[in-house]
Amino acid sequence: MLTGWKTLNDCSPIERWFAQQSWPVLDFQRQAWAAYADGQSGLIHAPTGSGKTLAAWGGAVNELIEQGATGGLNLLWITPLRALAADTCRALNRPLQDLGLSDAVALRTGDTSAYRRKKLLEQPPPALVTTPESLSLMLSYADGSKRMSRLKAVFIDEWHELMSSKRGVLLQLSLSRLRALNPGLKVWGLSATIGNLDEALAGLIGSGDSGVCIQGRTDRPIEIETLLPEAIERFPMAGRMGLPQLRGVVDRIEQSKSTLVFTNTRNQAENWFGAIQAVSTAPEMIALHHGSIDRELRDHAEQGLADGRLRCVVATSSLDLGVDFSPVDQVIQIGSPKGIARLIQRAGRAGHQPGGVARIVCVPTHALEIIELAAVRSQLQQGKVESREPIRLALDVLAQHLVTIALGGGFEPDVMFEEVKTSPAFQDLTQQQWQWTLDFITCGGPALAAYPNFHKVESVNGRMRVTDRRIGMLHRLNIGTITADGALQVRFVKGASLGQVEERFITRLRPGERFIFAGRSLELVRVRDMTAYVRKASSKKATVPSWAGGRMPLSTLLADGMLALFDNYAANCQQPMPETQSIMPLMMLQQTTSALPGADRLVIEQLKSRDGAHWFVFPFAGRLAHEGLAALLAFRISRKQPVTFSITVNDYGIELLSAEPVALSAEHWRELLSTDQLSENILQSLDAANMAKYRFRDIARVAGMVQQGFPGRGKPMRHLQASSGLIFDVLSKHDPDHLLLEQAQREVLEGQLELGRIRTALERAAKQELIIKQPERLTPLAFPLWADRLRSQLTSENWQARVERMLGRLEKASA
Amino acid sequence: MKIQLLGNQLELLPSRAVWWPAKRMLIVADVHLGKDQVFRRHGVAIPDGVLHAEFKALDEAIEQTRAERFLVLGDWVHAPPSEGDAWPNEVLAWRNRHQQLTIDLVLGNHDRALSGWLQRWNIGEIEHQCVLDGLTLLHAIDAECDDAPAGISGHWHPAARLRSGRESLRLPAFALRNQHLILPSFGRFTGGMDGLERNGWQLLAATGQRVVSV
Repeated sequence: MLTGWKTLNDCSPIERWFAQQSWPVLDFQRQAWAAYADGQSGLIHAPTGSGKTLAAWGGAVNELIEQGATGGLNLLWITPLRALAADTCRALNRPLQDLGLSDAVALRTGDTSAYRRKKLLEQPPPALVTTPESLSLMLSYADGSKRMSRLKAVFIDEWHELMSSKRGVLLQLSLSRLRALNPGLKVWGLSATIGNLDEALAGLIGSGDSGVCIQGRTDRPIEIETLLPEAIERFPMAGRMGLPQLRGVVDRIEQSKSTLVFTNTRNQAENWFGAIQAVSTAPEMIALHHGSIDRELRDHAEQGLADGRLRCVVATSSLDLGVDFSPVDQVIQIGSPKGIARLIQRAGRAGHQPGGVARIVCVPTHALEIIELAAVRSQLQQGKVESREPIRLALDVLAQHLVTIALGGGFEPDVMFEEVKTSPAFQDLTQQQWQWTLDFITCGGPALAAYPNFHKVESVNGRMRVTDRRIGMLHRLNIGTITADGALQVRFVKGASLGQVEERFITRLRPGERFIFAGRSLELVRVRDMTAYVRKASSKKATVPSWAGGRMPLSTLLADGMLALFDNYAANCQQPMPETQSIMPLMMLQQTTSALPGADRLVIEQLKSRDGAHWFVFPFAGRLAHEGLAALLAFRISRKQPVTFSITVNDYGIELLSAEPVALSAEHWRELLSTDQLSENILQSLDAANMAKYRFRDIARVAGMVQQGFPGRGKPMRHLQASSGLIFDVLSKHDPDHLLLEQAQREVLEGQLELGRIRTALERAAKQELIIKQPERLTPLAFPLWADRLRSQLTSENWQARVERMLGRLEKASA
Repeated sequence: MKIQLLGNQLELLPSRAVWWPAKRMLIVADVHLGKDQVFRRHGVAIPDGVLHAEFKALDEAIEQTRAERFLVLGDWVHAPPSEGDAWPNEVLAWRNRHQQLTIDLVLGNHDRALSGWLQRWNIGEIEHQCVLDGLTLLHAIDAECDDAPAGISGHWHPAARLRSGRESLRLPAFALRNQHLILPSFGRFTGGMDGLERNGWQLLAATGQRVVSV
């Protein structure tokens, strides 16, 4: 007998199953199975559709088949999307079924019926597919811990999506609990490739433990094609819809059997869907898919693309995830992907055949985006990809988790403190923060007298427990960190539901007004019980809602890539790329009329126009950081001389517009760009209180201070209704040291304004050469800012001044 | 801001109350005392500074107008006091500081099972409504229908949304239509309702400093 060859009998069950399917076992899969058999935890990272799921699951299959189920729940598979749970469940069952273990994997999500859930509790299957929220809910039942005590392994799918969100924090806390219950627990994460895999791994296994990082197959090259305009001179210099390229896009759709068109925002998706349908020869073969559209309609789109009924689906990031979504022939990306990771993810949707090339066609929406796409290409060639920043010390999530555990059998504070600190999200938790959180759930707050008769968690013989049934019920209803905040159900007067739209948008409409949603033109009939009733409108002329939070800022990696391209051009050593060829005239124009920015050069332009006096600054730090930076600059300037600016930002730079010219020398600029008193100045410069108030909505929800209204179900517990804004005001006034208020402020600084990036940009500026130019006309870099100003405007006035001014204007109007 | 209802001169105060000089009467609606306690009982940690802020605001309005009569158009409390609640005694202490004042309450939908406490608080109870110089004073009218009597009510917590470009700001407001006035909620820990203007109501926003027509 030949050594090195195994007969089928020597093979592990999963290898046998692979052989039955005539599938080759990939090295990384074998590696993962061995590590699992060894009792290790780890992270498997590979692009979508490369056999990641089976790499993770194979070890558990072996364990289940060889050792048999030990009674009770042995395995948990956590998926971030409950819509994917059913597909996942099927995929996980398949090898077990073929190996003789049927119905071993069951499903439990928010959609599972109460009857079925009870059944699952009484007779737990060996394995369960569930969501982070459902896991948390399971831990909230009195015997939850007992039921989890037979767990051998937990698998977490799409961990890269979860790790930088509060859902990931909640999951980390649940994992710390499960590890405490089962010291030998194996935890395996599945992730797309990201820049900080170490942190991703640490988040899974908990501090103090070690795990393996297994790299999946990466032999699938990505081929980017940019849909370049014929003449750059006639291509728009600004704009974010990209519709001038419609013809080219539709041609490609018609040439191909199946196409996925990715957009960056739901608004863009609605617009493109309408436009493609309008000119397509087969409009009925095109569908729309985004996060606000009803599940059923989305399923229809996914299914239609899979079975060939549809030729094209226009989607947002709602289709970025998904295990079993069948590959399409072609992927088109409208606008810059704003990050390498996102591009890789989306390109992965094209043709899943092994070793095949993933092709993606990128459609720039304005001229400068062509440079962004060139940066995508060059950074991708160098194998670079963005990191995901994990969230730390989210006390709202901690408070929720503590109440959950207090419900599920209770906890001893000292033991719990150590347990919580094993999750990286809370490893730096101080005793003081811990005590505050405990006070918050037991006494309402540290100032006992201010919270008389507070009831939530009580100490019963040294154990923290929830004894009031109503409080328990209310808490279970509100478990989770996803806020369907202010979302209204959109529903036809006669029945069918279409999806959800933001309350802010609907309240601006009057009955009879029209809007476009889910690709249809609709007329608002009335709003009642968190539901907007609509009927079909005949005219296509209508507004498209814009959903908050849709736009991602340009990633640091891409911004740096753009600066490098400018450097190369200036040094006359650029690599030949179709994008850079096309954009050459524009770079030349920028260089001759002003200067090209670069890694060592910060370009500042001063200009007078009909609108007033402009200062343009181009730090290339992304839109969010620019918002903070612009406010900071305006604040620092106005400290020296009283002036009001209107501010516009985009991913490349900042415009400060004033009525009268403001003279600023190079030395001035050096001072303005200093990092001294950075956070203080930013808080002073912005309407930080108001931003924190907005941010507090999510925090109040997670911490259980507002009850979530469920779209279409009316608001529960009417006597407990108070808006988070109201609670924010009350706390600011009567308990200003509340740590959740501080958290709101921190989230504004770090999350919303990207203080870290602002600091980096300023530190870089300190080393950069400042090039101050006075061009006669708007330069190619300045133009998009100028054009955007009409759309979005910030001002450097504070909130109070704004209120007074608005009132003044109103009074003038009513006088 | 001064208005007239059936020839009766009334002053709308920025503190969200109405002053009726001819009667030396201060009118408010929807104070929702004890709401913070209801929240705390249900595990939502709202500090009780809310209650004291309410008393302070009432004191200021009474002092400023030197009112002799005080009328509450419903929802004086958020819910009937539970056992062990301290706030009803604090209401009593407040009441004792204003012994010269006559206080009446038109019962609102939140003022259930309150008779015992109203007696202790020395607050007169008006079951549905009362009529004073032709003005009907009651808790709630149907804001969508057109048949409201001349008079004053509360219940709806009207709010006005000020808009200017992309900015937007929400303020409690008086709502006026024909000869009927709806008061904003007096309580600081209460929400507001937008959109009354769609049913033909004129909104007069209370900024805390003044009352402005929107």
